[in-house]
Amino acid sequence: MSGLLPAPPAAGAFTRRSLLLATLAGSALVATGCTGTPGDVTDAVTPAQVDQLAAQVRVQEAVVTAYDQALSTAPELAASLTPLAAQALAQLDRLRAAAPGDLGTTAAATSGVAAPTDPTEARAWLRGLVGTAAAAHAAACPEFTGGRAALLGSIAAGLRGQETVLA
Amino acid sequence: MADGTRSPSASPTATEDAALQEALAAAHVAIWGYGVVGAALPPESRDLVVACELAYLDLRDQLLALLSARQVEPVDDEPGYTLPFPVLSPVDAAALAVTLEEGSSAAWTWVLDQATERSTRQFGVAALGAAELRAVGWRIRAGRTPPTTAFPGLPEA
Repeated sequence: MSGLLPAPPAAGAFTRRSLLLATLAGSALVATGCTGTPGDVTDAVTPAQVDQLAAQVRVQEAVVTAYDQALSTAPELAASLTPLAAQALAQLDRLRAAAPGDLGTTAAATSGVAAPTDPTEARAWLRGLVGTAAAAHAAACPEFTGGRAALLGSIAAGLRGQETVLA
Repeated sequence: MADGTRSPSASPTATEDAALQEALAAAHVAIWGYGVVGAALPPESRDLVVACELAYLDLRDQLLALLSARQVEPVDDEPGYTLPFPVLSPVDAAALAVTLEEGSSAAWTWVLDQATERSTRQFGVAALGAAELRAVGWRIRAGRTPPTTAFPGLPEA
């Protein structure tokens, strides 16, 4: 049992949340592009949205690159950063899958500044980049509908959490 | 509806309203649940619990206002809830708070999925981010590593 149950005999909340999770599993499939069907209005994207999704992929690529750089220049942070880096990479994978068409391949850019070698400074540098990315995904979220809005909002929230633990 | 409120099927925001009802139900659960969390934590943690509870009271009020403005009858809180596990220690209390926040995150992610109004998605993304921030703090208190999740509110792929 993973959630709070209304006290018997009421039946509402758990049932609703169970259905919610089951439905969200389907939603996640849409978000990853596995079940999108032509004519699905909620899955349709305009050319401008395609561009914006590509931009969000670039934002996330920069986060992944920043973690790689920080782990390279401040390896003593590996224990704390490796799980966060893995989460950022998983986010990038799902974001790429949700973006229609060929995104092409580009060199992911960070801020253009190399990661500091001092661990404290490296964490602060990462924190700034992660916070900026979270804000960018959160700002993009309302511009989409359906699974893509849910995915962008979720990733934004996940990065907000990372920003907090990097403090 | 018998009281004259609008039929969900007649509303252009019917699916969104249904998702907002889920978020409201999650807020009701959280308000109740934080009472249990607070009772199991030492007094010095009370401010944190109160802050979380106030956040949900505010969310509840915003949702009630939004649904009422749409002439949708908001879901009531339940007379009682059954805990998913015994809450006998501060770690249990933190774990319950994580459950509350993750339930809220799932509801708000669903709102984002179902929302037809841009303003609702703005509301949803803010609420989801706030829930995850609270969840991170409680996961730390519950000793979970890492305390962050890649996809708050969504099932892992």
